Amino acid sequence: MRYSYIKPRAKTIFTKDIQLLFTFFGVTIFMLFSTYAFLLFRDYRFTQEMQDIKEQKNQLSINISKINKQIAVAQKQSLLAEKIFTKNSVLKDSINNLFDLVPSRITLSEAKIMQNGLILYGITPNKDVYNFMLQAPLRSIFHRTYSSFYPADNGWLRFVSTNYIDEEELSSEN
Amino acid sequence: MKINFSRQNIYLLVMTMFLLVFVLVFSFAVLIPNGKEYRVKRVELKKENIGLKQLSNFSIEKEVILQKLQSDNLHVIKAFGTEFNAQRFEKQHKLFFSSLSIIKMNKAEEEEGFSVYEVNTTSEISSPKSFYNFLDAVNKSDWIIAVNFPINFKRDGEMISSSFTMKVYNNKESNATE
Repeated sequence: MRYSYIKPRAKTIFTKDIQLLFTFFGVTIFMLFSTYAFLLFRDYRFTQEMQDIKEQKNQLSINISKINKQIAVAQKQSLLAEKIFTKNSVLKDSINNLFDLVPSRITLSEAKIMQNGLILYGITPNKDVYNFMLQAPLRSIFHRTYSSFYPADNGWLRFVSTNYIDEEELSSEN
Repeated sequence: MKINFSRQNIYLLVMTMFLLVFVLVFSFAVLIPNGKEYRVKRVELKKENIGLKQLSNFSIEKEVILQKLQSDNLHVIKAFGTEFNAQRFEKQHKLFFSSLSIIKMNKAEEEEGFSVYEVNTTSEISSPKSFYNFLDAVNKSDWIIAVNFPINFKRDGEMISSSFTMKVYNNKESNATE
């Protein structure tokens, strides 16, 4: 028995309202999950980048300490070389001064230059020439000066002049 | 007045409330803390990047200093690394002397972290000037050499025979490998 002339429409749970609601929340949830996924991805990238930076920093630190060591060695070499070159130059000047100190009337036969002393062997016409022209300047340089003479064949005098610088006095003068 | 809610409206309301609560909970419990963490990490990464750049610049500066030092002291660094060769030394410095003989002695005590060799030298020179020239040349030689006391000069006819020791400085093995 029919009570209506129209065909009954099929009832569905997805009414227009529900569809609208699902669409709205669907978009919202999609955006939320997309943001969450983006944050997770960035977090993963941050971790990777931090690790990379840490490794690079370690590498740079090792490199810097290696360079520092090389710099220290080069500076040490440079300083020592400078010291040695200066010492050689000073030695050259000292020997030059020593030979300039000897007057033309006195002839040296031997010279021994030591760290803190000088021994000269030579020949002089007489004691006065030696005393005034060689011993006086030597006395002004050295703390202790000893001289001994013995006659040479030609009537001149052979001499041995021993001169020392006292390290203690030198340090007290400084 | 009585309000009548249809069953469908009630379902709709419940569903809306549920989804709204989910969105709010998810946002406040997950997204916002994660977002804050993201900002903190971004700042931290920026700082680390600045630190890395500073370290990199510092490393470059150090390298420039080292290169300058090495180029300024090229001769010295090379000389410290060169093993002493008595024959080559004689050959190079023979012109300052009428005769020259070199005897390499044993290794002396280390000085300032460098190994030192003592070398005995006997020679003949025509005038002290030759010796001065030799001392100038020693400073430019292939080795780091210090002329050492005692130095003896003895007249021998027209010539002056001289004898002295020299100290040759070399890198220690540890310095060389560095």
